[in-house]
Amino acid sequence: MRNLLNFLIKYSTWFVFTFYVLISCFLLIKSSKEHYSLYLSSANAVGSTIFKTTSEISNYFNLISVNKSLQESNARLENEVLNLRQQLSQYQVLAQDSAFLSDKIRFDFISASVINNSIRHPRNHFTIDKGASDGIVPGMGVVDQSGVVGIVDVTGQNTARVISLLNQNQHFSVKVKDSPFVGSLSWRGDDPSIAYMEEVPRHAKYHIGDTIVTSGYSTTFPEGINIGTVMGKVRTGDDTFLVLKIRLASNFKTLGTIRVIKDALKQELDSIRNVGNID
Amino acid sequence: MNKDVISYICLFVILVLVQVLLMNHIVLFNSAVCFIFIYFLIKLPINISVNWVLTLGFILGLSVDILSDTPGLNALSCTILAVLKRPAFFAYVQHDDQMRNISPTMGTMGFFSYCKYIFTMSAIYCMILYFVEFISYIDIADIFIKAGASTLFTFLVILAIDSLVYRN
Repeated sequence: MRNLLNFLIKYSTWFVFTFYVLISCFLLIKSSKEHYSLYLSSANAVGSTIFKTTSEISNYFNLISVNKSLQESNARLENEVLNLRQQLSQYQVLAQDSAFLSDKIRFDFISASVINNSIRHPRNHFTIDKGASDGIVPGMGVVDQSGVVGIVDVTGQNTARVISLLNQNQHFSVKVKDSPFVGSLSWRGDDPSIAYMEEVPRHAKYHIGDTIVTSGYSTTFPEGINIGTVMGKVRTGDDTFLVLKIRLASNFKTLGTIRVIKDALKQELDSIRNVGNID
Repeated sequence: MNKDVISYICLFVILVLVQVLLMNHIVLFNSAVCFIFIYFLIKLPINISVNWVLTLGFILGLSVDILSDTPGLNALSCTILAVLKRPAFFAYVQHDDQMRNISPTMGTMGFFSYCKYIFTMSAIYCMILYFVEFISYIDIADIFIKAGASTLFTFLVILAIDSLVYRN
């Protein structure tokens, strides 16, 4: 017994070292594969307090540019409302027997601010200042004024952590606007303004400068949300699929105000999908 | 003794906050990041037991990890750095009984030995960190560029802080 104790004391440094290395490796491996606990993410109580306080201060510095872009988008939206109202008044005659118009609005938006952001890791996340108490649940899509930016991952009471589009483990179902060709968008970890659209059929038609939008095949994003534009084709060894280089529309270095998309049909669609999985 | 403990706790908190709120967002030339918080490990006195250095290093890394959403990454690098702290220190300083009760500074080590010591610590840290994080994503050459640039940036910032603090 004494020998054992002596042994343990003599080599205690090795045991302590191995213990900490094992914990670190466990966290590293676990975090790269699955969602991990709220307490180990920046959306926990301490993190949200720190980031909220500092973002309140730093937000003052770019109020001018935010104001300007809001006014611009306000003007554009006002214009659109006028146009749509005009169109609506023309179509109202047909509305009585139209099956497409329903009272229920499927997608709803929750506005929030980014309080902590990163772009330099291979798997990036950012934190927002709305959480479970505002109705945000993991799996919801997140967009900013220019396009898609991520998917909600972990939610705290008043904060949530979002998997950024700049995350190599996250893929998005996208398509070339006004065409049926669907592909999978992923980021490759170098330039925060470039992503790649993979698994595009060889015969797909596209032009440089074409807009890439969400496909709407999931409950995360509605169809047709802007993502970026085609920059060109990338050479690959694979002859069956094309890979397109995409310039992202959102500027991830200066994420400010974002909107979380709430799909009213999500539960219904997911439950139908699960029934299919059982069979 | 008590005063020292409190000042080390303050240093810990300040460094973690500066790293998470400021340094994580400054990326020079798309590759250089300053890991200012390893200054805490660099400054820990040489005579305290390795188990304590390891524990403090692990907690330091984990705190930064949790606040920047990279669980395990900094904790692993800090643990390895903590175990290499003594060898790095004694690589540039003679074993000497008078040296036992000090924390490494410019005054106690001499300017050049101190510079070499900080540079070694920064280089070890950046190498481990970038290898662990990027090994399955980018080329080895790119990892060396990123790690080298970050080492230089970290080294310069730590040197600048020390020159300000220990002016005489």
